[in-house]
Amino acid sequence: MSERTVKVASSVGLHARPASLFSQAAAATGVPVTLTSAAGKSVNAASILGVLSLGVGGGEEVTLSSDAENADAALDQLVALLSRDLDQE
Amino acid sequence: MGDEQKELTSLLAERSIRLDARASDRDDAIRQAGQALLDVGAIDPGYIDAMLERENSVSTFVGEGVAIPHGTLAGKDLVTEDALSVIRFPDGVDWGGNEVTVAVGIAARGNGHIALLSQLATVLLDPERAAALRNATTADQVYGLLTTDDDDDDDQ
Repeated sequence: MSERTVKVASSVGLHARPASLFSQAAAATGVPVTLTSAAGKSVNAASILGVLSLGVGGGEEVTLSSDAENADAALDQLVALLSRDLDQE
Repeated sequence: MGDEQKELTSLLAERSIRLDARASDRDDAIRQAGQALLDVGAIDPGYIDAMLERENSVSTFVGEGVAIPHGTLAGKDLVTEDALSVIRFPDGVDWGGNEVTVAVGIAARGNGHIALLSQLATVLLDPERAAALRNATTADQVYGLLTTDDDDDDDQ
C-alpha cells in the first residue's frame, strides 16, 4: 500500500472544477487510487461524484493511497496536482 | 446531518423543478436551468452567461445522466441568494458526448456551493436514487430523493 498525504492548495477546496480535473487525472493514471478525507471518508479518486461528495475545503489534508504496483508515480503526480491551485479561472 | 439534507430542498423552489423539458442542445439546456434560477430571483441575468462560460472551461457532467451547471467564481457576485433548479429532459441532451437527462442548476455565493455539491453528489452516488431522479415525474419525487437520509450506506 502506497500512501501520500497532501494539503489541498485549491483555495476553495475540491469543488466542481478542481474535483473534475483531479478525478480525470486520477482516472488517466490507470492506477486505482483511493482518496480519503481528513474526516476519514474514502472514495474512488477517479469518481467525480465520489470526490465531490467529500466536500473537501481549501487547506484541508487528504490522503491518497493505492494497493497497486507502480502506484508511486501516479500518486506523486496526483499530489503535485493537488498542490497547485486548480481554481484558476 | 438531517438539517443539511433539509437545506438542499429549501433551496429548491417547486417552480424551479421542471420535469418535462426539451432542449435543442447543451447551451439551451443550461440557459433553461439558469432561467429557472432567474425566475425565482436568485440570480442576475448575467449569471447565465457565467454558467455557459464555466461549461466551456470544464464540463459539469458528473455521470449518472446528470450535469450540474453553475457559474464561474467570477460570477458569484451575480448571485442574489443560493438556489437550485432541476430541469429534466426526458429525451436527453447531448452534453459534450455524454447524455444528460437531468440538469441541476446551481447558484451559490462564496463557498456555499461546496456543501451543496457535496450533498448532491452523495445522492447521485446511489445508482438507485440517480435512476429515480432521471425518471422523476413529480416535484414530490424530486424532494423525496433529495431528503432521504442515507448515513448508513457505507456498507456498500
